[in-house]
Amino acid sequence: MELQLEYYLILAAGLFCIGIYGLVTSRNVVRVLMSIELLLNAVNLNLIGFSSFVDPVEIKGQVFSVFVIIVAAAESAVGLAIILAIYRNRNTVDMERFNLLKW
Amino acid sequence: MSNVLNTIWLIPCYPLLGMGLSIFWSPGLSRRTGPRPAGYLNAFMTFLALLHSILAFAAIQNQSPEYFSVSWLDAASLQIDFEWSVSLTKTVALIVVTGLNLFAQIYAVAYLEMDWGWARFYSLLALFEAGICTLILTNSLFFSYVMLEILTLGTYLIIGYWFNQSLVVTGARDAFLTKRVGDLFLLMGVVALYPLAGTWNYQELTIWAETADLSPTAATLLSLALVAGPVGKCAQFPLHLWLDEAMEGPLPATILRNAVVVCTGAWLLILVQPIIAISPIGVTTTITIGAITAIGGSLIAIAQTDIKRILSYAVSAYLGLVFIAVGVGETQIALTLLLTYSIAMALLVMAIGNIVLSNVTQDVTLLGGLWSRRPITGLSYLVGVAAFTAVPPLGSFWTLFSLTDHLWTTQPWLAGVVLTVNGLTAFSLLRLFCLVFAGETKPMTVRSPEELWLMVLPTTVGAGFALHLPLFMANWELLPQTDNINSIPVFALMASSLVGIVSAVLVYGNNRPKLAFIPQAIKDFFAYDCYTVKAYQVTIVFVVNIVSRIIAWFDKYIVDGFVNLIGIVTMLSGQGLKYNNSGVAQFYMLSIIAGVALFGIILCFPFLV
Repeated sequence: MELQLEYYLILAAGLFCIGIYGLVTSRNVVRVLMSIELLLNAVNLNLIGFSSFVDPVEIKGQVFSVFVIIVAAAESAVGLAIILAIYRNRNTVDMERFNLLKW
Repeated sequence: MSNVLNTIWLIPCYPLLGMGLSIFWSPGLSRRTGPRPAGYLNAFMTFLALLHSILAFAAIQNQSPEYFSVSWLDAASLQIDFEWSVSLTKTVALIVVTGLNLFAQIYAVAYLEMDWGWARFYSLLALFEAGICTLILTNSLFFSYVMLEILTLGTYLIIGYWFNQSLVVTGARDAFLTKRVGDLFLLMGVVALYPLAGTWNYQELTIWAETADLSPTAATLLSLALVAGPVGKCAQFPLHLWLDEAMEGPLPATILRNAVVVCTGAWLLILVQPIIAISPIGVTTTITIGAITAIGGSLIAIAQTDIKRILSYAVSAYLGLVFIAVGVGETQIALTLLLTYSIAMALLVMAIGNIVLSNVTQDVTLLGGLWSRRPITGLSYLVGVAAFTAVPPLGSFWTLFSLTDHLWTTQPWLAGVVLTVNGLTAFSLLRLFCLVFAGETKPMTVRSPEELWLMVLPTTVGAGFALHLPLFMANWELLPQTDNINSIPVFALMASSLVGIVSAVLVYGNNRPKLAFIPQAIKDFFAYDCYTVKAYQVTIVFVVNIVSRIIAWFDKYIVDGFVNLIGIVTMLSGQGLKYNNSGVAQFYMLSIIAGVALFGIILCFPFLV
């Protein structure tokens, strides 16, 4: 069985779906952040898959995924900082308690 | 002398001026001097109008009628001229109207002595005088209608003179609405006539009517509409209740209303007679309405106990005779009947007013035994009765005779109606006389002084005028020719009056009516005006009431409800949709993802299929 591009893409899409499910349903903020990482990894999988099958010479996708990993790390740092800031004010990491904008 | 005729338009202007000026003596404006000058001023203005009318009458002798016209409205293809004319008949009518108005105004000076509302009263009398004079002078059906409407409003205001009495308010309401209904039908006729005839001028209408080629339906509807106006104005069946309730108004106005105002409709009816005559159904309707009202009115008059209402039903009855005369085409007899009728009726009402003011009550069963102490009033009343019914040689005898003589050969049953009405009216008027003047004194009439000279004078002068009327009529060649008189109608007419008078005297002579053999139900039926109030209530008033309630309900709940529903839906949707704004960031993310996914599906849809 030859490994094909579609399998990578479907695997990435599945990962993306799981990430979105986790993003929407989790009540813990850290887990939301982890779900976002899952999403970014699904994207990276896409980029690398496309660069291996469609653009094996210049492999621009791999460069993009390097940038994505960098930005994901930065985003996690900022995200965790924001979570800490909220936690210090509200003493909780429950997503459903952060509803100041409720109607 | 022709200056008098050229300035005939001034006649309505005198009372109009008096009307305008008398406002200044209304209690709100002149707080110190009292309202009496308003009355004097208006009486003077009426006197001027009377003088002018008499001069015009003298000037028009042996002259052909003169016609005048002023453009009133000229818009596109419609040109309405204010047309008026002078003829011998019109000057006589002017003299009668201004003369009777002068009587009523002088009478009111005494009658309303204890009243503060002279400014309003006299200005309304002046409005009536001006309106009726204009109606007489105008030569255009359109402006006749305009005047009739103004008079309807005037009736409303003058019946509602003492508006703190509840019966006055309902009476004025009924008078306005009832006359208004007739007027509106008349308006339909007037408007429908213009495209057919192309003119509203009476002479041209008469010429047109002679050769008019109308479909029978159109002719019938047209003539019925033209009859409907006078039916309301003249208090004819079935629009007669208002005159009964109009008796709540001040008595001097009643003089004018009974004698003159109700004749305005008859005047119009006489003028449009050629158009009515086009349609046989219209003619039959006119005669039938007249006959029903004449018989019914005189029967109801017999059963009344209110002294003023006895007279008001006699008014309806005699105008019914005018309707009959117009229906059979005898306009000249109808005009003469109006002349003799007005003078006699004015005299009767003035005599009744003399009694009412000093005895307070209007109930004839509470009056009695006044003959020895009130001879002037009693004699005047008797003269009025003689002039009103067919008692030779006074006025109405000759006109009723002409009418009976004409009907005797052509439509005998109508001659029978005239004879019956004459007998019944003689009976009811003599019944009133016997109950009020004969018999024993009742508590209400123990002390009953004769009235102020200002009331007695117009009464006696009116009686004199009624006595001299045959001489005037002989002068104006209004008496029937004597050479070919059919003697049967003469004796029939005199016999009917005699039977009426003698039976009234026999029944009521000693003030104790012996009418026990008549069932109470029949007495009540006529005493309550054939239950017309009930009839109105269960028919027209009921239907209009129900329909307006339904429409009001529909408007309030369906029409308004629909518009409000839109508002409420918008409000509720705002209230409901705001819960989408849950405040949970994850929900927003879900919405974004769902939106993007949906958008992607829509974009990709052509490729997926």
